[in-house]
Amino acid sequence: MNKISKRSKILYMLVFAFLIGAILLIFTLFKNAETWALKRVNQHIYTNGQLVSAGTIYDRNGVVLAQTVDGKRVFNPDKTIRCSTLHTVGDLSGFIATGAHYAFRSDLTGYSIIDGVYNIERHGEDGKDLHLTIDSKLCAQAYNALGNNKGTIGVLNYKTGEIICMVSAPTFDINNKPKDIDTNDSGRYDGIYLNRFLSGVFTPGSTFKIVTAASAIDNIPDIFSRTFTCTGSYKTSTGTVVCNGVHGTVNFEKALNRSCNSAFAQIAEELGNENLTATAERLGFNKRIQLDGKVNVAKSYFTLNDAVSVDRGWAGIGQYKTLANPLHMATLMGAIASNGNCPMPHILTKKTQFFNLTPSSTLRYMDITTANQLSDMLRSNVKDFYGDSKFPNLEMCGKTGTAEVAGKKPHAWFVGFSRNPNTPLAIVVVLENSGGTGIGTAVPVANKVMQAAVNSSF
Amino acid sequence: MTGAKWLPTLILLTAFQVLSAGQVVISKDGISKQSAIIFGLYIAIEWIYTIVSSIVRKKASPALEFVAFFLTGIGLVIVASVDEKLLKTQFVAVVIGFLCYVFLLWLISSMDRAMAMRLPMGIAAIGLLIITLALATNRNGAYNWIYIGSFSIQPSELVKVAFIFVGAAALEKLQSTRSLTQYIAFAVVCIILLFLMKDLGTALVFFFTFLILAFMRSGDIRTIILVCVAAAMGAALVVLVKSDYVIRRFSTYRHIWDDMDGSGYQQTRVLIYSVSGGLFGVGIGHGKLKNIFAATEDLVFGVLCEEWGILMGIIVILCFAFIATHSIKCAIGCRYAFYTIAAVAAGGLLLFQASLNIFGVTDFLPMTGITLPFISRGGSSAISCWSLIAFIKAADNRTWLGSRYHTEVVE
Repeated sequence: MNKISKRSKILYMLVFAFLIGAILLIFTLFKNAETWALKRVNQHIYTNGQLVSAGTIYDRNGVVLAQTVDGKRVFNPDKTIRCSTLHTVGDLSGFIATGAHYAFRSDLTGYSIIDGVYNIERHGEDGKDLHLTIDSKLCAQAYNALGNNKGTIGVLNYKTGEIICMVSAPTFDINNKPKDIDTNDSGRYDGIYLNRFLSGVFTPGSTFKIVTAASAIDNIPDIFSRTFTCTGSYKTSTGTVVCNGVHGTVNFEKALNRSCNSAFAQIAEELGNENLTATAERLGFNKRIQLDGKVNVAKSYFTLNDAVSVDRGWAGIGQYKTLANPLHMATLMGAIASNGNCPMPHILTKKTQFFNLTPSSTLRYMDITTANQLSDMLRSNVKDFYGDSKFPNLEMCGKTGTAEVAGKKPHAWFVGFSRNPNTPLAIVVVLENSGGTGIGTAVPVANKVMQAAVNSSF
Repeated sequence: MTGAKWLPTLILLTAFQVLSAGQVVISKDGISKQSAIIFGLYIAIEWIYTIVSSIVRKKASPALEFVAFFLTGIGLVIVASVDEKLLKTQFVAVVIGFLCYVFLLWLISSMDRAMAMRLPMGIAAIGLLIITLALATNRNGAYNWIYIGSFSIQPSELVKVAFIFVGAAALEKLQSTRSLTQYIAFAVVCIILLFLMKDLGTALVFFFTFLILAFMRSGDIRTIILVCVAAAMGAALVVLVKSDYVIRRFSTYRHIWDDMDGSGYQQTRVLIYSVSGGLFGVGIGHGKLKNIFAATEDLVFGVLCEEWGILMGIIVILCFAFIATHSIKCAIGCRYAFYTIAAVAAGGLLLFQASLNIFGVTDFLPMTGITLPFISRGGSSAISCWSLIAFIKAADNRTWLGSRYHTEVVE
């Protein structure tokens, strides 16, 4: 009998397993609390799949972009502001993943594993408020400047890292969502839920020559005393890179001014796969930027794996498989403008960076000498080639791009920044498949937005 | 116990129940008289039982019963908060369960009586299962309910008690191979009948209980036979798994978010609303999970976490761990092997069933559609749970110290 009694202890093993399981369960609940609680089917937070019980979203000047009034979510009364801030503010159903309503839903609702949804249930409209860094008026102006183009415009304060403007087209009025938005296949609404500034990647075209130039400065000691001969194309052992003109003999700076493909293909050839890839990655290609610890930005993409010489040539001028994210390009401009480093971009003002878990980090792209040399070259582009009259009173630096896209019209790009310490703003304009050139169509748009931006409350 | 050491605990328990029941008794629409009376009666039963038992069994500690009263009380409040109309039926079942507990405790206090009941219990168990199989209608894919007028009974719950009773009694008197063979035959028939009902959860619980009983008897050549039978049953389980209904449940396992509005509906909602409650809950009756099918039955752990808080979920988990460890402590040093075996089997069964439920609805284990002991709504379940703790209580030597039956043994 005593023997049988001793066998009772086998049950301790089950108790032990049960408690281990319980600890794992509690741990899993805590780990996934936010993800699970904020699922759209949670009726504590969503009504018919729409986020309703949430705090107010303000722009940097205190303009209300969205708020809850009497159990309903109400947006800014101005239609242009609604359209231009749609992707930043986000919709209520979470289609726009980088929109504040979705990305910051835990902050907006005030959810935490400790209190659960208690605060939302008790106060309803009284979630935490969000203060965004964008200037809604500036966004509306940028939206107007974009006209009928698809594409994106973003403006970054490179001293603070604040994104003061971002617009993405196509867009729609959240108060009057097109009924055919999910069925229309004319292409009008392609990627309408995508914030192209944060989630888009585009062939960079000639704007990538900035990266090739940075690599040349770092790897070819006598690059500034070199000359290149352009006959309208550059022949490699495996193919030909075609240029946009016949530039004759040009030095390094002139080659960038005129965006000479022959010269840059030649430079890329000399740099080789390893050097060019190393520079691209140091400058943020293939790397993830995250805004405010919550919003993942699409990675810019660069590769020369298995590339032959002609591929390298095309890659050096921003074609081949290369893709660039507009926000990433803006940070690159910011870094060139400020000694090689750009503060981590963000869209929440200091006021609403609730826990400040992420220390204000910096994107370190290049050393100060390279940055200043590039800055001078980009300044020369505007001053000596595009003309300062295109950007009055801005001390503008920049680079245009006309990116060839297979089977579609080219993208028109402009990336640049104001070197004036009083207006530390970087801008990126992408006119998607617009068919225009960077200099012809993107530059005027960029100027309009920059003029509005310097007069805004950055 | 000398003095009334249990008094502070009972006062705390009562305070907890008054506070929680108060939230369903008093609402915006005024005071619900019926609920007030029911909870009043429930608390009165607690007090009367504790006082009487402290007089009758001076040395006994009421800790086990307190835990059972605590869990049952939570279950009653949850039933009332979801649908007050169901409270009365559930309360009546709890009272019946409590009376079964008292009766069973008396019944097995005499070994002669217990041994005499062995055969009738076994026959009744198998008879009940056969009747179920004959009369049952399909409910959620299983054929394990019978309806008598407006009452519905899940006989497999009641058979759990007989299963342990017969098993422990058979193994107590293991003088002949014949009695063991008889018991194995009984167990096999029970489990096969459950297979046929497609009641996977209960079949698993029986299987597990059988393994415990087998282990308690091990060290004997006959163990090998027991293990062989166990293996055969495992194989039978696999056959059962082939049924479509069960296959669907298993294919959802660890993939609940892939089909959160289909086969993963219940588990995903349990997780979503459990974390919605936070540590302290959204308040009794303020949850959303209660609107989902089987909220007060299989999914009750989710309702508990959502409305009462994850901390309360942890406390309930600890209660089940307590019941099992308590049964081990009682089982060691019993006067008869019957008590040892029955206590360990009952404690193990309750803990195993709680594991299947809690880890099933949270997707740690495949969901088997089994209830959480004491807390889930269900009359048969309440009766079976209360009866099972009689086995644990009976194994506690303190229960009998100074009692008539104890002196009988000493003589």
